[in-house]
Amino acid sequence: MKQAQDPFRAEVANWMREHLCGEFEALRNCGVIGDEHYDPALGKRWEQELARGGWVGIGWPVEHGGRALPLAQQVIFHEEYVRGGGPGRLGHIGETLLAPTLIAFGTPEQQRRFLPGIRAGTEYWAQGYSEPNAGSDLANVQTRARLESDHWVIDGQKVWTSWAMESDWIFVLARCEPGSQRHQGLVLLLVPLRQAGITMRPIRQMTGAAEFNEVFFDGARTEASLHLGAPGQGWKVAMALLGFERGVSTLGQQAQFERELHTLIDVAKRSGAARDPLLRQRIAQASLSLLALRCNALRVLAHEEAQGAGAQSREAYIAKFAWSNWRRDFGRVIADVLGPAADLIDDDPAAQDLRRIWLASRADTIYAGANEIQLNLIAERALGMPR
Amino acid sequence: MKIASSSSAMPATDLSLTDEQRQIADAVEELLARESASAAMRRAAFEGDGFDLALWRHVSELGACGVHLPADHGGLGLGMTELVLIAEPFGRRLACVPWFESAALAATALLFVDDESVYARFAPGIASGRTIATMDIGLVEAPPVMAKRDGAGWRLDGRLPAVPAAAAAGVLLFVAASDDGPLLLALALDSPGVRRRRRATHDATRPVAEVILAGAIAGAADCLCRGDAATRAVDLTRQVAAVALAAEQVGVAQQCLDLTVDYLQQRVQFGRPLATFQALKHRCAQMMVAIELARSAVLGAARALDEGPGADSVLRLAAMARCQADEAAQFCTQEAIQLHGGVGFTWEFDPQLYFKRAQAARHWLGTPSAWRERVAATLLDEAAA
Repeated sequence: MKQAQDPFRAEVANWMREHLCGEFEALRNCGVIGDEHYDPALGKRWEQELARGGWVGIGWPVEHGGRALPLAQQVIFHEEYVRGGGPGRLGHIGETLLAPTLIAFGTPEQQRRFLPGIRAGTEYWAQGYSEPNAGSDLANVQTRARLESDHWVIDGQKVWTSWAMESDWIFVLARCEPGSQRHQGLVLLLVPLRQAGITMRPIRQMTGAAEFNEVFFDGARTEASLHLGAPGQGWKVAMALLGFERGVSTLGQQAQFERELHTLIDVAKRSGAARDPLLRQRIAQASLSLLALRCNALRVLAHEEAQGAGAQSREAYIAKFAWSNWRRDFGRVIADVLGPAADLIDDDPAAQDLRRIWLASRADTIYAGANEIQLNLIAERALGMPR
Repeated sequence: MKIASSSSAMPATDLSLTDEQRQIADAVEELLARESASAAMRRAAFEGDGFDLALWRHVSELGACGVHLPADHGGLGLGMTELVLIAEPFGRRLACVPWFESAALAATALLFVDDESVYARFAPGIASGRTIATMDIGLVEAPPVMAKRDGAGWRLDGRLPAVPAAAAAGVLLFVAASDDGPLLLALALDSPGVRRRRRATHDATRPVAEVILAGAIAGAADCLCRGDAATRAVDLTRQVAAVALAAEQVGVAQQCLDLTVDYLQQRVQFGRPLATFQALKHRCAQMMVAIELARSAVLGAARALDEGPGADSVLRLAAMARCQADEAAQFCTQEAIQLHGGVGFTWEFDPQLYFKRAQAARHWLGTPSAWRERVAATLLDEAAA
């Protein structure tokens, strides 16, 4: 069939078969931190296995250690990765958020220093944006950074910092001009996480797991040269970084949703829920909407390829709202297919991941711009309605 | 149109459009914005018989009537991608011409009959706009028309209760039951034994007529295909045309959003434009989410159809486009009425026209729930898996 004929697709599928085995078998179909089956140490070894296979940074320019693969092949890689049972990617923040920003805004020294560690799966990054009083209102960031001779000194607090306990570095949005307001006077700093001036505390989530953390900066230090973009221009760089979030990696995310849907279908067939006419309608619609989300992501990518990364198109504005609400609705379909067993944590192990998704999907419509913020952006920027 | 027998996942990964594709879509959009603006559209719908002959000539001159018909039979030889790009403005302007029936529905059926003599007989007329064709696409399993052998041809009796564009059309494609199994027939509507009666419809921009066949005679050449081939051709036509209908529904939804945003920008209450109220902005944003997701679904389906997908992929693609577009059209037409407030309920403002079109379209070429159940059977039933 068509897919088997594509040599690149076959290459990825074969590589996954040959490498996601042995000790890595335990990672098959796993999430990342927050999935109780995920072993971070093993996950990092898997990232390094991927790196040795040449699968990290496949879209980066060749001069930065990437392979500059065309978009169509990047899409195929992400799809086959998930089809092959590939686990969630602990390297995601470094590879798909920070690296493109480093390539766009970083100095040659910064690029030489940080890209190889990301590319090799030896250095992991966390994102230091949100604060207790700067969530949806990110421009209210209060963390302070001041230059003292050859170092930045940082004081303040970040929150909702995913995977910080397993990360080596954090990029921190901080206020470098005392008294500055809102989007002005900010800097994006690259800061080593493991130092005396930084304390981390995991936050237990409604799923029971702790994927994210509070990060406290108390005289934390980083070298004077480690600002990404010019000091004072941090907002622009921080926003550009978010623009990369909608890139090719969303295709992998959708392949993962596809996998979750197939798990649900298996459970529904076994339990008899597949005979319920209303559940049949909801499962079919979930499947069709997921295919529509894939089309939307491909449309976003086509636009970005033509106009340059970060180019905002109509389809890009709606993407986050659309997929996160799909998944939240999917969580409800899961709960209704499972029925009373949705509440029984120790029931059918095959449904364990589904029960986790039912709860975890409630975060999707909150992080990375809550539903309400997304609708503001769509109305004001895409539709031109007044603020 | 090539439909492979094997199954494969959606193959299309590149959804970019060429400059030529954009130009075709822009040309149709410009024409219809000019010639089928609200006042002209209302004149054709309510003062005429729902058929704007002058507009039909303009559309024909653009070449828009033979978009995906073969170039050696007078068509443009393009694909579904171009067809859906063109279908959207027809929905957006509620253009009172039988473009969809002739150029999207009947022409698609010709592609699945895929017979040189059938192309030679019908394609040049349809492509040029000289022939208006339409199609009744009811249940193949129980066609309401009976065909009895009559020499080399058939004698036809039955009633097709509601056929879009039947009053304006010259040729009707439909399925008749016979002792030889189902027949896909193409009958000249001015034949003896054919009566047409225009029906009153809420959606006056898509006129519908009853067609009564009482002893009408179809010649041997009027049978395009029969048996399993007829069943297959009709089912594939329904699926592929459903994608084009979905594109039209996206146009319906888009116009409702544009009308609503414009109205909210202009209307001042409590001393400020309504467009500044967050509750109303969020409703418009949700309309846009539904529209863009549906537009992506339509484009993705069309592009995948152009690449020759497997038969079960066609079902998924059609169901996706149709269900997403129906949702967008239902939601946006309803919201447009609500957000216009009192004037949204008046005859004078346009949202009501789109609301009526959205409802009529929902029940044509298979309802969303029927599409979902077909997909559910492929996902959930062991026999089909």
